[in-house]
Amino acid sequence: MTRRTQDVHSHRQIARAVPSALHPVSKRAPTMGWLAWPLSLQFGLLLLGAQLFVAAAAGWLYPGDPFELAGAAFLSPGADPEFPLGTDIMGRDIAAGLMHGARVSLLVGLSATVIATLLGTAIGLCAGYFGRWIDHGLMRITELFQVIPHFLFAIILVSILGARLENIILAIGVTSWTMVARLVRAETLALRERDYVKICTVMGGSHARVILTHILPNALPPVIVAASILTALAVLTEAGLAFLGMSDSNHISWGGMIGASREALLDAPYMTLIPGAAIVLSVMALSLIGDGLNQHLRKGHGK
Amino acid sequence: MQTPQFTHALRRMTLNLLSALCVALPTAAMAQTPVRGGTLVVVSNPGEPAVLTAAFNQQGAVAAISTKLFDGLLHFGENFKLEPELATHWEVSKDGKEIRFKLRPNVKWHDGKPFTSADVKFTFEEVWLKVHPRARSTFAAVESLETPDPLTVVLKLRNPSGVILSALNSAEAQILPKHLYEGTDIVRNPWNVKPVGTGPFRFKEWVRGERIVLERNPDYWDSGKPYLDQLVYRIIPDATARYAAFETGAVQYGVLSPVSINDVERVQKNKNLQVEYRGYEWLASSNVLEFNVRKPPFNDVRVRRAVAHAIDLGAMVKVTARGNAKPGTSPVLSTQTRFFTTDVPSYPYDVKQAARLLDEAGFPVKEAGTRFAVTLDWLPFGESYLRYGEFIKQSLRRVGIDVTLRSQDLPQFMRRVYGQNDFDFIVTHRAGFGDPQIGTDRLFWSKTIMKDVPWSNGSGYSNPAMDGLIQAAHEAPTEERRIEYYKKVQRQALTDIPNFTLMENRMYTIATARLRGLSTGSDGVYESLKNAWLAP
Amino acid sequence: MAGTLNDTPAFSGVDEEGVSAATGRRQRLYVLTRVAQMLPTLLLILLTAFVLLQMAPGDMVQVLAGEAGGGSPEYLASLRQSFGLDQPLHVQFLLYVRNVLSGNLGFSFRNNTSVAALIGARLGPTLLLAVAGLAIALLFGVGAGALAAIRRGKALDQWIGGVALLIYATPGFLLGIGLMLLFAVKLQWLPVSGFADSYGVEGFWPYTQSVARHLVLPALTLGALHAAIYARFTRGAMLEIYGQDYVRTARSKGLTTRRITVRHVLRNALLPIITVVGMQMGSLLSGAVLVETVFAWPGLGRLAFEAMQQRDFNLLAGLILCSGSLVVLINLAVDLLYTVLDPRVSHQ
Repeated sequence: MTRRTQDVHSHRQIARAVPSALHPVSKRAPTMGWLAWPLSLQFGLLLLGAQLFVAAAAGWLYPGDPFELAGAAFLSPGADPEFPLGTDIMGRDIAAGLMHGARVSLLVGLSATVIATLLGTAIGLCAGYFGRWIDHGLMRITELFQVIPHFLFAIILVSILGARLENIILAIGVTSWTMVARLVRAETLALRERDYVKICTVMGGSHARVILTHILPNALPPVIVAASILTALAVLTEAGLAFLGMSDSNHISWGGMIGASREALLDAPYMTLIPGAAIVLSVMALSLIGDGLNQHLRKGHGK
Repeated sequence: MQTPQFTHALRRMTLNLLSALCVALPTAAMAQTPVRGGTLVVVSNPGEPAVLTAAFNQQGAVAAISTKLFDGLLHFGENFKLEPELATHWEVSKDGKEIRFKLRPNVKWHDGKPFTSADVKFTFEEVWLKVHPRARSTFAAVESLETPDPLTVVLKLRNPSGVILSALNSAEAQILPKHLYEGTDIVRNPWNVKPVGTGPFRFKEWVRGERIVLERNPDYWDSGKPYLDQLVYRIIPDATARYAAFETGAVQYGVLSPVSINDVERVQKNKNLQVEYRGYEWLASSNVLEFNVRKPPFNDVRVRRAVAHAIDLGAMVKVTARGNAKPGTSPVLSTQTRFFTTDVPSYPYDVKQAARLLDEAGFPVKEAGTRFAVTLDWLPFGESYLRYGEFIKQSLRRVGIDVTLRSQDLPQFMRRVYGQNDFDFIVTHRAGFGDPQIGTDRLFWSKTIMKDVPWSNGSGYSNPAMDGLIQAAHEAPTEERRIEYYKKVQRQALTDIPNFTLMENRMYTIATARLRGLSTGSDGVYESLKNAWLAP
Repeated sequence: MAGTLNDTPAFSGVDEEGVSAATGRRQRLYVLTRVAQMLPTLLLILLTAFVLLQMAPGDMVQVLAGEAGGGSPEYLASLRQSFGLDQPLHVQFLLYVRNVLSGNLGFSFRNNTSVAALIGARLGPTLLLAVAGLAIALLFGVGAGALAAIRRGKALDQWIGGVALLIYATPGFLLGIGLMLLFAVKLQWLPVSGFADSYGVEGFWPYTQSVARHLVLPALTLGALHAAIYARFTRGAMLEIYGQDYVRTARSKGLTTRRITVRHVLRNALLPIITVVGMQMGSLLSGAVLVETVFAWPGLGRLAFEAMQQRDFNLLAGLILCSGSLVVLINLAVDLLYTVLDPRVSHQ
C-alpha cells in the first residue's frame, strides 16, 4: 500500500487547517458550559443563529413572493419606509429577497455539506479500514475528483443537469467531498492500529460494528470542523455559480440577487453590496464556528 | 486700485476674447475634414467570434468584424436606400424576372488577385445556397446566376422577388474569394480565421482570447479610404468591465449594445462618449414570446390570446428595458416602414379579458388560486432574457397561470426547443434582417418546421391559410402586391398568434466623441468603418 | 501518544548528508512509480470528461447552428458527420484516446483551430497569473500568519485574523469588481482588464511593463483569497510548533526568539504549508474562472467554461488533460520536496 507522503503530514495539519482567528479564553474549565466555549465559537454561533432566525422569519415578515415586482425600481435604501433596504433593478423588495435568500443560502450550504460529508466519510472509512485494493481504487477516484478543479467541475455538472436548486446542491456536494475523504482515511488509518480496535476485532466484532462504534466516533471531530469549512465554501460556490448565470431563477438567493444586479453595479451598488454583505457575514459565521469548534475539541482532547 | 482705464481695457479684452471665440467655435465645428490615421480600439460584443467570415455565420460578433474585411454588392443608406458597393449599378427588368448587376472594376482581393463575377457565382452556388442559414429561402426564386463577363452578374428569376435586393449587404450576402475556397470544405477552410476580402481593412493578426487586429487596406478601391490605420478588437466578456473600458478610453467603439441598459444614461452624460441609436433598422431586433402549439394548454388559441392580454407591454418595456424599447404590435417591426401595418388584431392589457378567455377555454381557477402550471424557457443570450421571463411570470400570476422559469445553456435550449420540441413557451430573440421574407416567414410557414434546426418554426404552427399567403407573397408579380400580402400575413399572424412580439429593441452603438464619420444607414451596425476618423 | 512524526522536528541539527545517497535511488524509483500511477488517473479523467459531455443535452452542432443563425437539416447532418458525432460513443472515445497518445489533441471545430494552439495561447497567461497570485498569497499570507503567530494575543494578531477572515469570506468576483472600480475606474492607476495594451507597445520592455500593469489587479484578487487561507493556516501551524518540546528546549538553551522562529519554527511549518499550497494549485490554475471573467484575462479557466457552453469536447478534454497533468505533476513535486525537506519520511 502506497501511502502518499502528504497524507502522513496532512491529516493532523488539515484538521487544524482553520486555526483560531481570535484568541481563546483558555483559563476556564470546560465544565462551565457554553460560556467556556471559545469566543470565536460563541460569536459564530450567534451570527449563524441570527441568520437562521431571519430565514425562519422570512415567511412571517415578508409573506408572499419575494420575486414580486412590488415597487418602483432603483429605490435607494431608506428612501421609502415601505422598502427599508430599497428595491432592485426590476422593483423587487431587497429586504424580502434578503430574508428569503437566507433560506436558500443556508439550504444549499448545509445540504451540499451533508452530501459531501456523508460521501467523504463513507469513502474515507472504507479506504482506511479495508486497505489494499479497496483503498487503492478509492484513492484513485479521490484523486480524480481532486485533480479536476472543484469550481469547474461544479459548473460542468450544473450545465449538464440544469440550473435547478437540487442540481446545484448536488453539484457542490459531489465536487467537495475529497477533503473529508482524505481526512477520514488518515484518521481511520491511525485509529485502526489502536489496541481497543484490535481487541474488538479479535473478539469477533464485525467490520460494521468496529467502524461504527470505535472508529467513526473518534474520527468525527476533525470532520465536524471540516464540515463547517465546507458549508462556508458551499455558500461561496453558490454565489460564484450565480455570478456566471447558473442559479435557480425560481428561488431567490443572495448569489442570484448579486447576479441580477450586475448590470446596475455602477448606478446602484447597494443592490450588490447588501446581498454581498449578507454572504460575507454568513461565511464569517461559519468560519468562526469552525475555528471555535477546532479549539474546543482540541482542548477537550488535551492536545 | 482699479482705474477707469483699467476696467475699460479689461472690458475690451473680454469682448475681444468673446468675439474671437465666436469665430473660433463655428470654425471648429465646421472643421469636419477627416483626419487620416489613428488606431480605433473596438470591443467585440458579446465575446470572441468563432470565425471571421459572415458568409455562413451571422453571429453578431462575427458579422461585426467580418464586414470590415469584406464588401457586399450593396449597402444601405438611411431609410433602407440602396447604395452601391461592389455593384456600381443594378437594374431590375420590367417583368421583374431578371436583375442585372454591374460590378465595380479594378477591385482586388487583399492578396492582390482581381475580384470578378466568377467570385460572385461561386459564392452564390457553393456558399450561400449550401451553408448560409437563410439564403436558400431568400434566393428561392432564383433559377440561375449568369456571368456574361467578368464585371456583370445576372440573376434569372422564376418570378419577381423583391426580397433579393434587401439581402445583398456584406453582413447577409458576403462574397468569398473563389481562388481560396473552391474545392474546399467551406466551413472548415483555414481562411475563415485569417480572411482575404475586398474590404477597407485587411486581416493582420488574431491573438486568441485577447485581440483581433485589422489594418488599412492600402489598395482599397475607394481610394483615400479608410482613414483609420488600424482596428483593434478587444475581447471583454463582462458588461461592467466593458463600460469601465469605455469610460477610461481603453475602448472607443462598440456595437450591439455593448454596455448594459443601466449604464447608457451614464454614457449619455459623459461628454467624452456618444450614443448612436441609428443603424439598427435593418437588423430589426425584437424579443418574442413563442408558444408550443403542439400540445395543451397553448394549442388553444384562446389561451394564447389570454396570455397576450395578460402582459402589460408598456410596463414591461419600462421595468425590464428601462424604457429603451417599444412595445411590440406585429411580427414586422415599426422600423421596417415599407411592410409595417397597424391594421392588425391587437391585444391590449386587459386582465379581465384574459380571465374570461381562460374560463372559456376550460381552465377555471382551482383551489390554490391557479388555473394551470407551465414552464417558460428563456434564451440564454444574457441576463435580460431572464428579466423578461421574470416579468412574464409575475404578469401571468395575476391571471392564475403558474409559471416556472427554466434556465439552461445555449445548446440545451436549442435541443429542447428545436430538437425535442419539449417546451411550453419561450421568450427569445428575433432578427428581422430588413425584410419579412427573410426574418418573419420562418416563424409562420409550415415549410420551416425543421427538426433540430435553430431559429426555425419551433412552435409547430401550421395553417394552410397562412401558408397560402406566404406562398403568394413569394410569387407576387409586383413589389406592391408582395407588400400587400405581407400585411395580410401580419393580420393572420396576430389572429392565430402562435407567437407575438413583446418589444422592439432599441439597440445602440457606443463610441468615443472623437469618432466621426459613422454611418447612419439602416445597416450601420455592420458598417465597414471606411468613412470613420478620429478627431485629435 | 509519543513517537509520532510531529513531535520531533525535521530540522534539529541532525546530520542529513549521510541519508542522501541511499535516498537518491529510492527517490528515482518513487518518481517512476508515481509517474506510472499518473497514467491511469489521466485516462480516468479523460473518460470522465467524455461521459460528462455526452450527458450534456445538446451538442456542438446545435451551438454552431444556433450562433450562426440556423441552417438546414441536411447541412446540420453533414456537419455532424464531418465532426464524427454520428459514430457510436465507444468508437469516438477510442479514436480520441488514440489521437491523444500520438500527440494530437484534436481540432476545435467551433474555434476553427487546433486544441493545442488554443491551449498553448492561453497557457502562458494562466501560469503567469497563477504564479503571481501564488507569490502574493505566499508573501502576504505566510508573512501575515507568521507575524500573527509571533505577536500572538496582541492587537496585531487580532487585526490580522479579522482582516484574513473578512477577505476569506468575500466572494472572489466581488473583491475583483471592487478593486477594478476603485483602482481602474475611479483612480485610474491601473488598466481595467485584458492582458496587455492592445496596441502601441512595441519592444520587449514596454510590452513586459504593459503586461505587468495588467497583471496587478487580477493577481491581487486571486492572491488575496489564498493569502487569507495561508495566513490562518501558517499562524496555526506555527503556534502548534511553538508549543512543542524542542522549541522549549531551544529556548532554555538560550537561543534568541528570532533564531528560534526562523531556524526551527518556520522551517518546520513549511511542510504543512507546502501541503496546502499543493492542494490549492488546481484551483489556481483552472479554477480562476471568476477572476478571468471579471478582468478579461485570457486564461484556461475561462476557456474551459466556454468549451463547456459550446459542447466542444475536444477542447474541454484537452483542457482537463492539461490541468490534470499539471496538478498531478505539482503533487509529485510537492511530495519530492517533502522527501528533501524531511528525511524522516520514507517511501513505502
